[in-house]
Amino acid sequence: MKNLFLLAVLCLLTASLYGQSAPSPSRISIQGRSVDTSAAPLASSTIMLLSPKDSSLVNFMRADEKGSFTFKNIKSGTYILKISFVGYIPYNLVVKPTGDAVIDLGELVLKPITKELMEVVVRTAKAPLTIKGDTIEYNASSFKVPPGSTVEDLLRKLPGVQVDQDGNIRAQGQTVEKVTVDGKSFFGRDPKLATKNLQAESISKVQVYNDKTEQSKLTGVEDGKKEKTVNLELKEEFKKGGFGKVTAGAGPASNDLPARAEVKGNYNKFDSKQQFSVIGLGNNTNQQGLSFNDYQDFRGSNSFNWNDNADFGFSGSGRGFYFGGDDDESLGIPINGGGGRGFSNNAAGGANYNYDTKKTKLSTSYYYNQSRIEINALRNRENFLQTGSFLTEEASNQINFNGNHRVSLRYEKALDSMQTLIIINNTRLNNGNAFLFRRQALSRSDGIPPAGTLPDYTPSTLDSSTNQSDSRQFGSASTVLYRLKFKKKSRSFAASATYQINTNDGNLDLNSQTRFFQATSANEALRVIRQAQTTNSLRNEYKASLLYVEPFAKKFFWETFYNFSLRYDEVDRDVLNVGDAFPIRNDSLSRFYKNEYLFNRVGSGLRYSFKGLNLSAGLAGQRFSLNGRYAPDQTSPVDSLISRTFTTVVPNVSLNYDMKNNKYLYGGYDVNVRIPSSRDLQPIINNSNPLFINEGNPNLLPELQHNVNGGFSYFNPGSFTNLFVNVYGTYYVNQIVYSQQVNTETLVTTTFPENITGGKNIGSYMSVGFPLKKTKATLNINSQLNFGNNLTNINGTRNETENRNYTIGTRLDLTPTEWLTFYGNASIGRTNTRYSISSGQNQQITNNNFNGDLNLKLPGSFYVNTSLNYRVFRNRQSNFDQRIPLWNASVYHILGKAKKAEIRLSSVDLLNRNVSITQYAGQNYRQNEQVNTLARYFLLSFSYNMRGVNATIRRNGGF
Amino acid sequence: MNRFINLFLFALIATTSLGQKTEGVVSYERRTSWVKIIGRMSFLSQEEKDRAAQTWKNDSEYKEKMKLVFNANESFYSYASEQGETEDGNYSWRNSELKLYRNFEKDKKTEMIEMLGKTYIVDDSLHTPVWKIGNQIKDIAGYICMRADTEDPIRKQKITAWFAQDIPVPAGPERYNGLPGVIMELSLNDGDVVIEATGVTFRPVTADELKMPKLKGKKIDDTAYDAIIRQHIADSMIAHRNPYWSIRY
Repeated sequence: MKNLFLLAVLCLLTASLYGQSAPSPSRISIQGRSVDTSAAPLASSTIMLLSPKDSSLVNFMRADEKGSFTFKNIKSGTYILKISFVGYIPYNLVVKPTGDAVIDLGELVLKPITKELMEVVVRTAKAPLTIKGDTIEYNASSFKVPPGSTVEDLLRKLPGVQVDQDGNIRAQGQTVEKVTVDGKSFFGRDPKLATKNLQAESISKVQVYNDKTEQSKLTGVEDGKKEKTVNLELKEEFKKGGFGKVTAGAGPASNDLPARAEVKGNYNKFDSKQQFSVIGLGNNTNQQGLSFNDYQDFRGSNSFNWNDNADFGFSGSGRGFYFGGDDDESLGIPINGGGGRGFSNNAAGGANYNYDTKKTKLSTSYYYNQSRIEINALRNRENFLQTGSFLTEEASNQINFNGNHRVSLRYEKALDSMQTLIIINNTRLNNGNAFLFRRQALSRSDGIPPAGTLPDYTPSTLDSSTNQSDSRQFGSASTVLYRLKFKKKSRSFAASATYQINTNDGNLDLNSQTRFFQATSANEALRVIRQAQTTNSLRNEYKASLLYVEPFAKKFFWETFYNFSLRYDEVDRDVLNVGDAFPIRNDSLSRFYKNEYLFNRVGSGLRYSFKGLNLSAGLAGQRFSLNGRYAPDQTSPVDSLISRTFTTVVPNVSLNYDMKNNKYLYGGYDVNVRIPSSRDLQPIINNSNPLFINEGNPNLLPELQHNVNGGFSYFNPGSFTNLFVNVYGTYYVNQIVYSQQVNTETLVTTTFPENITGGKNIGSYMSVGFPLKKTKATLNINSQLNFGNNLTNINGTRNETENRNYTIGTRLDLTPTEWLTFYGNASIGRTNTRYSISSGQNQQITNNNFNGDLNLKLPGSFYVNTSLNYRVFRNRQSNFDQRIPLWNASVYHILGKAKKAEIRLSSVDLLNRNVSITQYAGQNYRQNEQVNTLARYFLLSFSYNMRGVNATIRRNGGF
Repeated sequence: MNRFINLFLFALIATTSLGQKTEGVVSYERRTSWVKIIGRMSFLSQEEKDRAAQTWKNDSEYKEKMKLVFNANESFYSYASEQGETEDGNYSWRNSELKLYRNFEKDKKTEMIEMLGKTYIVDDSLHTPVWKIGNQIKDIAGYICMRADTEDPIRKQKITAWFAQDIPVPAGPERYNGLPGVIMELSLNDGDVVIEATGVTFRPVTADELKMPKLKGKKIDDTAYDAIIRQHIADSMIAHRNPYWSIRY
């Protein structure tokens, strides 16, 4: 180990050459010869002149074949002359001016680096060791140890360090008395504790030095003794960390509502491989889900997972087929349920654990959330028929409770350098109950009134009903995904299998009284329903997919895929009429139903990919077969058999072009296939609203959506200017639409899904953004157009509804100073709706929205935020005009030097005007809905954030 | 083992003395750690930085392959292949324009750099940075390299270069050069970005390999280039956006 010190001494010690002082020439030459210990010339050795002040490089050259060098005509002064030659210790010499014009240094002898040290240098990739004073610093990553090794194994590899069988450490021949980690000796006095327990890969540097004894540190009396000490520096990312935050707030009762409160918190503990986090929230301020940031903190490295889609299809255009939306009660953790309607009490909490290494990644989580929501709504709907229209005025009170347990697991393993296996499971268990009281008054107007006048309505029907229900749902989806790479670049294979199960067991007690004012007989004037309905449904789905990609001709890829899916549905529904006497089974509403939906698809396509231009085209053939049967009961003979097959070929074309200077062009044509949802297929009559009955249709075929889209985008990050243009169009074949049958006597509406071809939708979106004054004011203008034609059958007559929607919007960001920002936006939307069935009833709906958000930073860590939102809802035809201003404001103060705590006073809806409004015109009706919603309240809250509270008043522009 | 090392040493010394290694191609891997760069954004809170680090820890590193063609007087640095692609080669994209030519004899450089939605032609003398030479040595791709340090005053970055003692050409990757040997590794700001040589091939290079393509773009000099970068970084920091999404780190 002497050699090490030799190197240290030689590197740092620089010989000096002193000369006489004499009047110096301003320009000098320095010459010499670099030789080895046997006086042989070191040809082409590197000769450098450095400034003695900071070692900066002034000049350099190569020695000639004889090892000679001359720096000619250089400024007179002191230099460090450095000679380096592979295999030799760098040579340093301080050259001071001698007064002569030429300084001849003569032969400069370089010493070879000893074998042992050379081995260290040659064997390792990173700078293996540095010597600073009496400290030798080893770069841990230069010394390769097998994964899972301890620090002890690492120390064994270090030149100059020995570890004996018992784990005792000697460095430079002396026993190591102390091991510290990041300078702290929290492992106690036994150095072995640290070296045997710490993982080698968590260490970035090992430093060996002589430290004062604890005794002399304590007493301050130098006892002259030094202890050999090893300090282990942890890698930045291996530093264990923990962070968390908690917020709690409360406010007084207002608006006849009890006091408001909210609390939420999370804690996160991590090291380089693992992350454990817990989160919890509770409130009665309508915050149902996690914010996106909180979700990211909770899920960590598992927040996003690309490549988890197990349904392979054409590249670049999604998966191309999907099952109807309403079946998929989300298995994922709900995000951002803030500002909801009605009045809700919410609680949620969960834990997440991630383990990530290069080869293995594991993530598991459990999350529970529950909400109790009270919704008091007023709805006003007008339905248009060939012969006139009828009005529905509805008032309802509803209390829903929902509790969900969610468990998730994701495991990814690199089996070897070519194979990857991913296993995913998401499971949800739900428990819910609901109580609904509803009162509906229907009135009719026959004939169409002259333009500009309101029709006369005659009361027709009055219904009041209650629904009391409870349900238990279970859903679970498990996927295995296997990917294989080949030696040939770009060739790849993937296979997946998925099993999904959903069960839903529900009970509904339905009580309803309906009066029909135009009934001709007393018998028909009053209808009373008292039913107990039990519906148990089961859905199983088996899916498998294969994908193979073969590259050819360098820029082309040939992609082939196969999808298989089998969905099995079973519904058992028993409806009992509960009268004064014994319950009697209702055979027309009870049903037992079984159905199999089989889907097979084979597709193949070509893709061209080169320098940002991606072009692809392909074809897929698909076949659906539907086999079902239903009867009033399991035991009864089969009533109806369904057997249908449907085959189609769908094309796919796409273009993606990434042009120079941040311009992108894209476009494509594809056909999406939407398989009917289980609910739409089930031949079940849902009479929970006796005036509005839903029926399933077991004969439904899949819907085909022919989509065309194209667009262009440009972004100039230098001037912060951007432009987006997008146009799209869809044509529907076998569109699943809800047709209506309205009983002209009773005005009871029955809707049922049907396949209708011919619906279409086209639209465009455009946006331009540019700075008015760079970094201070930015303006954005956007416009949106959407024209839709929707077909439905109303009482057997084809009705075409034409919707034309025009929206223009603008956004202004003012960020003039560090202490003031303003963000404003406005949008003006107009929808014109025409009904072919009733041409006099054209609707014109206006939805305008204006928003301003002002942030102020005051002296003394005080901040103010206030926002005003003004919404306008208008429909001239129905004399509907609502304007809702919402004014929120909060003041907060960041406490302490560490800025970890915040106290905040917030007021929500200062004007006490909040109400949730929606309005819609489509199909053969127009509707508006008002839901009472949590209005003015105040909250005083306190937050503590271990990482510090961030009080930036400027929005981030992406990082 | 010792014998092997002896042999190795001998071989190394023998090759250096045998011929001048002044012509060839260096292949580099350029690794960008976005999490580290995000950690440098002064407008982000510790919470946001930690969040990014935890969320992206499995895919925080972006790799690209670069190459440096050199002879005794000239060098040309650009992407190793004509397009960027994923490791499995299944997806590809266009690389932003980046072609850096240097002539050490004439003290001249010509660069074609696409950034901020424009293509610039930087035409100027070399403006070699002031390098500080250290005492550390290490082996990169089989070459013993010495350490040199400098800093980028515009981006405020610490730059560490490792240059080969026995490839006597003052060329290097990215916009760095001017050391007594070819720069084999460049570390920007303690490893935010590392450009590391994966191999060197010595062979005669043709004039075509060192030639700049037809120059299309806005002509500027180093002063203007620095001014654009400085302005963009300052604007982006004020606007709370990461400047390095649209300029090279």
